[in-house]
Amino acid sequence: MQEIRRKYVIPGDRIIEGNHRPLFNVLRAGNSLVSTRVGIAEAGREGVKVIPLSGVYIPRTNDIVIGKIMDHSSLSWEVDINACFSAHLPAQDVFGRDFSPARDDMSRELAIGDLITARIIAFDRTRDPMITIQDKDLGKIPRGEFIKISATRVPRLIGKRGSMIQTIEQATRTRILIGQNGVIVVTGRNADGISLAVRAIRMVEEEAHTSNLTQRVKALLGIPESPSETSIGTHNAHSSEDSPSPIRKGEESQEGKEQNPE
Amino acid sequence: MTQTKSLIDENGKRTDGRTETELREIKINVGVIKNADGSAFIEFGMNKILAAVYGPREVHPKHMAQPDRCVLRCRYHMTPFSTDTRKNPAPSRREVEISKVMREALEPALMLQDYPRAAIDVYVEVLQADGGSRCAGITAASVALADAGINMRDIVAACAAGKINGKIVTDINDTEDKEGEADMPVAYMPHLDQVTLLQLDGILDDKQFSECLDEAVRGCKVVYEIQRKALMQKYFGEETEMKEEQ
Repeated sequence: MQEIRRKYVIPGDRIIEGNHRPLFNVLRAGNSLVSTRVGIAEAGREGVKVIPLSGVYIPRTNDIVIGKIMDHSSLSWEVDINACFSAHLPAQDVFGRDFSPARDDMSRELAIGDLITARIIAFDRTRDPMITIQDKDLGKIPRGEFIKISATRVPRLIGKRGSMIQTIEQATRTRILIGQNGVIVVTGRNADGISLAVRAIRMVEEEAHTSNLTQRVKALLGIPESPSETSIGTHNAHSSEDSPSPIRKGEESQEGKEQNPE
Repeated sequence: MTQTKSLIDENGKRTDGRTETELREIKINVGVIKNADGSAFIEFGMNKILAAVYGPREVHPKHMAQPDRCVLRCRYHMTPFSTDTRKNPAPSRREVEISKVMREALEPALMLQDYPRAAIDVYVEVLQADGGSRCAGITAASVALADAGINMRDIVAACAAGKINGKIVTDINDTEDKEGEADMPVAYMPHLDQVTLLQLDGILDDKQFSECLDEAVRGCKVVYEIQRKALMQKYFGEETEMKEEQ
């Protein structure tokens, strides 16, 4: 079977001919599959896909996102998740099934402006996304530096099995929470470490598609290069973005990790 | 249309020194506006046009939202200093028309059903006008849409053709538009081989019409290559060659 790796495409470009399975960001036109986004096309045994290099965040079920409480009604909170739809967090999710709007004070649990880590439990584009904070490592974020990057850069920031983010965390002695919607919260005791981590994240965002990025990030962070890591850095310029699932795993391992460098 | 002077000289050169089939110089820069989701700046001869795309984002007013598809909103606007004499910044009849035809030219390329209940806003701001600004605007807007990461079937390229001194020429400029005999702006999707905009101001016979359309489509293909190069340059830098490992 014909395989294509790392082919640069823009919308309308033909990726491959024949009866292949379209995965995402591809469209069937006659006998061929064409790209619908600017990105990197890959065709393999499992199907054909384009890893996009630009675009706003579109929610997907089971994504872990970081959101900001914008408002609340008597039954749910309205959360800005950096998408074109605002998410809803039902009050019962926090207070349990015996929630009573008359008895329970919602703004006491989550006030307007609070940041939360949440998981999208339902979204089908006909209704606004529904989120939950009832899971391990979800809930209110007490403190941290808040930054936004393009959601398409999140897999690159995490790196292969979390390599990039671990590098940044260890070098700057910070803890970095990443939402798949491109919202990031950096915490740490040292202000210099936080600002260095923010600079490294911005660098990854701007240069996500270039090769040798890992080396440049290490140079910024002042980490001496070791030969084995260099080879990984040059190789995985985009291979970390294989499919949505490893990204999420990588991220969950980040958020699940209770390591505290301090 | 009164002909005051010859628009093609004895050497077959037009007023700006081009041959009949030559396009003006085109430059496109992608991602020039940080606050927009996608943007492009185009220099199409003397035209200087900014295009910015925002979205998909929430629709306001809410009643405009469509349950099954995204709303595409376009605004074509000429800055007061874009023309010889000051242009009133209020939207004119012409600008309202161009906004509409621009939307209709871009819509077939976009997969609007992918973003239901949302809106995509396209703002095209003409900083300097020199004839053919709707074509340049569509070209820039299409690049900006691709830059914004919106699902598209194809890129839309636009170019005009027309008739001056009885001859069919490509890429009409301001003088030729005013003093020539016909002007035909065409927007075209090169991969799908489909025309999304065709307007005609002037009179052409059957033969001239098809000749003019062919010439405009040829111009669109030239424009497309420049669009493609600009996008590749922005996203893949120096590695503009298609990399393929099989």
